[in-house]
Amino acid sequence: MTDIAMAPVRSEGFFAALAPRGKAVLFTLTAIAVCLLFAFPVFWLVLTSLRPGTGVYYVHRGTEFTIDNFHDVLSQEIVVRALFNSFMISTLATVLSLGVTATSGYMLSRFRGPIPSTWFSLIYIFRCVPYVAWVLPLYFVTQRLHIFDSYWGLLLPHIAVHICFFSWIMKGFFDGIDPSMEYAAMIDGCSRWGAFWRVAMPAAIPGLTALAILCWLYTWNEFLFALILTAHETPILTVVMAQFVHELGMEWHLMSATAVIALVPALIVTLFGQRYVIRGLRI
Amino acid sequence: MAAVVLTNVHKVYGHVVAVKDINLDIKDREFVVLVGPSGCGKSTTLRMIAGLEEISGGTIAIGGRVVNHLQPKDRDIAMVFQNYALYQHMSVRDNLAFGLRNRRVPEAEIAAAVSRAARILSIEPLLDRRPYQLSGGQQQRVALGRCIVRNPKVFLFDEPLSNLDAQLRAQMRLELKELRQRVPTTSIFVTHDQTEAMTLGDRIVVMKEGFVQQVGTPLELYRKPANRFVASFIGSPSMNFITVDVTAQADHFLLTCQGWQFRLATTRFPDLGSHVGRSVCIGIRPQHIRLGAPVNANQIAFKGTVMVTEQLGDEQLLAVRLGDSEIRIAGVDPDLTLAAGSEIEAAVATDNLHLFHDLEETQ
Repeated sequence: MTDIAMAPVRSEGFFAALAPRGKAVLFTLTAIAVCLLFAFPVFWLVLTSLRPGTGVYYVHRGTEFTIDNFHDVLSQEIVVRALFNSFMISTLATVLSLGVTATSGYMLSRFRGPIPSTWFSLIYIFRCVPYVAWVLPLYFVTQRLHIFDSYWGLLLPHIAVHICFFSWIMKGFFDGIDPSMEYAAMIDGCSRWGAFWRVAMPAAIPGLTALAILCWLYTWNEFLFALILTAHETPILTVVMAQFVHELGMEWHLMSATAVIALVPALIVTLFGQRYVIRGLRI
Repeated sequence: MAAVVLTNVHKVYGHVVAVKDINLDIKDREFVVLVGPSGCGKSTTLRMIAGLEEISGGTIAIGGRVVNHLQPKDRDIAMVFQNYALYQHMSVRDNLAFGLRNRRVPEAEIAAAVSRAARILSIEPLLDRRPYQLSGGQQQRVALGRCIVRNPKVFLFDEPLSNLDAQLRAQMRLELKELRQRVPTTSIFVTHDQTEAMTLGDRIVVMKEGFVQQVGTPLELYRKPANRFVASFIGSPSMNFITVDVTAQADHFLLTCQGWQFRLATTRFPDLGSHVGRSVCIGIRPQHIRLGAPVNANQIAFKGTVMVTEQLGDEQLLAVRLGDSEIRIAGVDPDLTLAAGSEIEAAVATDNLHLFHDLEETQ
């Protein structure tokens, strides 16, 4: 009697039932579907921004396109001011918070003792409190300090949020940098501060770049603080955009055009630092 | 050039004693190796000498000057780290020059010192590369270069060869020895590898659980280990240990363990007198056991069963069951065929027996 070669028993899962390359094809199709899912709203937004005011409710059927919406919104002084303010506040908040975030992340990564653990606890508590709960106290504080509806009134809360949220990311970056490099620098003639500044910081440049981009995008996109802590003096883009919904109706075409304009700097920043942002988000 | 003196140095982390009362006198230009298993306190000791770790008590003096409260940069030392610790954002040239620039040495002198160090270590073609473009061995050479370029009083090495593969490690060991001849400087080298310790050190400090177990030359440690720990740590394969009961006879002591007994002349081992009626531990290096019957009265014989053989090409290693103990025999003829389970006879000279009063490894 001859031996019968037995075919290996296959698992009877869903993927096993597919053709040899079926798994790869399925994966690719799923990836495309997910990309479309995320890209579609952006596509629809751009499409809406190019439609006349009367055409926004049948975007998928219309054939009339215009760039007047962009002209309209950019001719409104408040939109231009809001663009400028948003850009300035995002940039200033990023620059001002980076110094503290870097040193704070470094301390959390390298030092043990009462000061780092107290700082750690403070950050943790801040992170545990729902974001919206800070808004009302901040409103009263900015009123009391006479910085309501000013750059500082929005900058200070944003810097605080950046420090609390991004110190953790920075800690992660410094955790990934070998501390013996700093020890070598200290033996080579640097003080502790010098070792941080001349060796740890240059090594953390990818992290700092990621952090700067995340900080900038966070403030650029932020709505709640801007809504509560600003008024007519310091218009912010996200709030101005929302004001296209008013008692007389909703100007979707103008809102979309403003949103597309708001998208451009964010897109540039993201494309510029995509590599670093992905690394930042992984930590 | 300077001597390094540690007096009653200890280090405590909370309630944990990491290093306990170390006293060490390292002479000028001496190469001392701190060796021991992980967590024995050897790296902590080195870091305390470097000033990277504060000391909890005692004094450290470099070149006759107490450095307890000096910053690392003011101690005139250089250190090589396990993972090289090169500045990744700088070229090799800038890595070498970093320490000198911090000390505001004129650029012309820096260039001369860097090219001298690069010539000594044969890294001249690498000077304009970044550390990440170098192999492990090259990086380690740059790290050594960073040390010698400053001409410090003391070199500190924190397991510098651990990250290299076995072949490169052996090569770097030789290079380190050559470097020592060209740049004779007081050096303290930390390792967990007894081969590195034996081959590099003028003297070796064996540490365990924060305590110094023994300080001596490589041969002293090999031939006269102070305790079971040192005996087992130094030498490869490790020393065999057999627990035996001691009884006194007319002119000799009778030592017995399960299924095996032998005699030792009272005159040769007078220390055993105080252990009559008790157990002691005898240590035998695997290299000192020879297969075959004893050839003179100075040798003791035993019989055992071969458990496992390991062929190394130039020799065989045997694991042999002897009563309820298992011992290792090294230096066996590689052409000898020994099946597992076969009975063998072996002998060892009584001069090569080590007696330990402690039955367990102690501090």
